Amino acid sequence: MWVWFSKLGSPKWFYELSGKWLPWLIAAMVIFMTIGLVWGLVFLPPDYQQGFTSRILIVHVAVAGTSLAFFPLMLVAGIITLVWRMKLADMVAKHAAILGAWFSFITLATGSLWGSVMWGTWWEWTDSRLVSMLFQLFLLLGVISLRSALEDSETAAKACALLSIVGCINVVIIKYSVEWWNTLHQVASPVSLDPSSPNGPQFWIATLIMIVAVYLFLSVSLILSTRNEILERERRSQWVQDLVLKN
Amino acid sequence: MLDAIQFSTWAEFIDMGGYGFNVWSVYALFAILVAVNLIIPWRKKQKIVRQLKRRMALDAEIYSEDSSNSD
Repeated sequence: MWVWFSKLGSPKWFYELSGKWLPWLIAAMVIFMTIGLVWGLVFLPPDYQQGFTSRILIVHVAVAGTSLAFFPLMLVAGIITLVWRMKLADMVAKHAAILGAWFSFITLATGSLWGSVMWGTWWEWTDSRLVSMLFQLFLLLGVISLRSALEDSETAAKACALLSIVGCINVVIIKYSVEWWNTLHQVASPVSLDPSSPNGPQFWIATLIMIVAVYLFLSVSLILSTRNEILERERRSQWVQDLVLKN
Repeated sequence: MLDAIQFSTWAEFIDMGGYGFNVWSVYALFAILVAVNLIIPWRKKQKIVRQLKRRMALDAEIYSEDSSNSD
């Protein structure tokens, strides 16, 4: 286990292993994306109350749910960086913040596009879910600017780990906000296997496929960015030079 | 399976039961999210490899000049 763990921290080992996984991850991503999008746009029946705006929700729920994974990921990466001095974890945390900000922004934008027709408003400052998600976006932008402002990578890693703790608390608030404060945003719909129910299998299976597709996309994007970072940081090493010559 | 298609004309498909603007905007935003975050790292890798190649070629040139001068 420990040998495996310290190997995983080696950028060269990660680069080679992720190179083997990438084609499979990309293939799986393309398949799930295609199924999810075609199902969502062509086959998904209109909701009995929302009409075709339910098609917005399968994308919104998948992106929003996944956006909650970034701060826990960054906290774990931060701890690994600080405790075991693993540079690789720090690289992952750096790119997770950028991707997380994208996810949070798209969550807010798609939610607004749904709310503008179904709630009759684009934004509501008194809703806890909306405001806590906006707070997550600002926290992530804070982490990104902190990292670019701090030259010393150890100080940056410490500051980002600290902000990740705040971010994780906020993730819990986002998750349970709809139950703790009953304002505008509705609670999650119960999952039902009954085809005649309003949230029948056709909706949640489509959502599930989108969630898998979004997680695959997140992994591919994060691996690609981390590999670039490895190439830049290790550019003087022999294995990177050999690799470039082979390309 | 074709029975399950919810539209019979292209106009209906674009209109999305009156919610066309909102539905298509959401899918467009999602497409931007995915495309941008795959294309940026992919292009960056090509740039890094190109720069490394140039640097290595330059290093090799300097090295060969050094060795020819020392003769």
